Amino acid sequence: MRAGPPTEQRVAFVTGVTVVGLVVAMVCGLVVGPTSIGTWRVVGDVFSHVGIGHSTLTGLQSTIIWQLRAPRMVLGLLAGAMLAVAGGTYQGVFRNPLADPYLLGVAAGAGLGATIAIVDVGSGVSTPTWTPLLAFGGAMIAVACTWLIGGKGLRSNAATLILAGVAVSALLTSAQTFLQQQSSANSITHVYLWLLGSLASADWQSVLLVVPYVAVCTFVCVLSGRALDAMSVGEDESRSLGVRVSQVRLIVIAASSLGTAAIVSAVGLIGFVGIIVPHIVRLLVGTSYRRILPISVIFGAAFLVFCDTIARTVMAPSELPLGVVTAVIGAPVFVVILSLRRGSVR
Amino acid sequence: MSWVEVDHLSVKAGAATLLSDVTLSIEAGTWCTIIGPNGAGKTTLVEAVAGLRRVASGSVQIAGQPIGDLNERERARLVSLVPQHPQVPAGMTVRDYVALGRVAYHGVLRAPNAGDHQVVESVLERLSLESFAQRDVATLSGGERQRMVLARALAQSTMVIVLDEPTTGLDLRHQMELLELLKTEVADCGLTIIATLHDLTLAGQFADRLVLLDQGVVVVDGPARDVVRSRELSEHYGMNLRVIDVDGSDVIVPVRH
Repeated sequence: MRAGPPTEQRVAFVTGVTVVGLVVAMVCGLVVGPTSIGTWRVVGDVFSHVGIGHSTLTGLQSTIIWQLRAPRMVLGLLAGAMLAVAGGTYQGVFRNPLADPYLLGVAAGAGLGATIAIVDVGSGVSTPTWTPLLAFGGAMIAVACTWLIGGKGLRSNAATLILAGVAVSALLTSAQTFLQQQSSANSITHVYLWLLGSLASADWQSVLLVVPYVAVCTFVCVLSGRALDAMSVGEDESRSLGVRVSQVRLIVIAASSLGTAAIVSAVGLIGFVGIIVPHIVRLLVGTSYRRILPISVIFGAAFLVFCDTIARTVMAPSELPLGVVTAVIGAPVFVVILSLRRGSVR
Repeated sequence: MSWVEVDHLSVKAGAATLLSDVTLSIEAGTWCTIIGPNGAGKTTLVEAVAGLRRVASGSVQIAGQPIGDLNERERARLVSLVPQHPQVPAGMTVRDYVALGRVAYHGVLRAPNAGDHQVVESVLERLSLESFAQRDVATLSGGERQRMVLARALAQSTMVIVLDEPTTGLDLRHQMELLELLKTEVADCGLTIIATLHDLTLAGQFADRLVLLDQGVVVVDGPARDVVRSRELSEHYGMNLRVIDVDGSDVIVPVRH
């Protein structure tokens, strides 16, 4: 049996709890780490930056907070928000619960781009600085190919685009596998680390690079909620209701893909956030994308910063792959909420 | 006044011709039902009138405006559709579902305004759906669901409604209730109805005019009483059909050879 549509009170409660969770995750992102700095001292330092009170941190502590943890936390917020809202948007536009931000080839394209960059160095001693650029380019070329192959874009339907995405992903992944097979073991290790995704290399420069993409693309995705609700009755019916399905799909896919490509180029492939967060939010606030998308932005941001805090602390000084933590935390949370929601209407 | 003009309309799917040179002129405030055996092209015709089919040749005009030249929003203000198998998104309330009928007016970026809400509440009341308004659409029975889909079409405030087998899956009482509701809307609001129906008795009793379609071609077109008595009806259905007058209403029954 299904739960009924959520009440406004429940939506307000979930939104409130999510915002509190975001604040807690942000504080954890700044406070938790190998160097112990008291929570209130860190909070006091943050307030001192907006002219309230004064900081009690030493120079070294300030550097740890503002040059290491803060950019990492902010990049985590941006990545979590973008991946979650892109996943939710894809699920809406394709009316497919298994859709995630990598559906149309972003992951495979970025993976191939990054592999070309890393393998091209020859010795594969490190991840070269132009890796993000090639990853971004690869992701956008992959989506463009999917769009062109899948029935020349505007005339295509959702199923054709998904199949085109599968084909493009398979082709690019096989090219990436070939390159890896031809390269040194050291290169393969770097490619593998990149593919797992990490916020370890975050700095303010990478934050500034992705902020414009994430801001614009998240805004467009959230704005598409009403259109996606109307499209939930199917393509023909929504067209008969006055929805310009082709245009909506083009705009929404462009925004989701561009934002995801920007994030992937900065942090690699972080799995699970884009598929699990919108589903968790859907279970909590119902099926309307007008609610799912904005709450997914907050939830995704909080979720990824929280997971990253765990990833960099439980096995310090080494780090757990972020994608592993998102799955290990996200899957049980999802199962618990699913069983609670079912139980509540039995 | 002719409100819907179908002019030499042909629709193809690959090499197959689904409609061939169909010409119809439908008066405002009348009910025209398209009948015909399976594969006759009934659904294709109503979908073409709703602007959902690419036409090979010919045109459809509603209120003098060529449907093919209009964008989705302009079209949705002229003609609304009740599909044969409407998609019902679980988790949506009946009120929100009916409110989708107003998208053509407020667009997909703006929220519905007070006028839109007023139209939705009025339609919910007219179709006795107020008590279901906050229910999940997935929990409705077949009859309630069809009424809800009709409510969404009425919320579009168009002068033309096309319905593709609106009584599919309903028991006899609910079939009659739905068609009576439509008849009331035609009488009260001057709606123009273009529907497809498999049940010839209901088609004959509710429509002002019947159009018999077979293999994409209009075979007979005329007043309902004449068409149900026409020789072509039995011929094109490939069976022996009899018309029985019951209290002034025509009942069409098949007779075994």
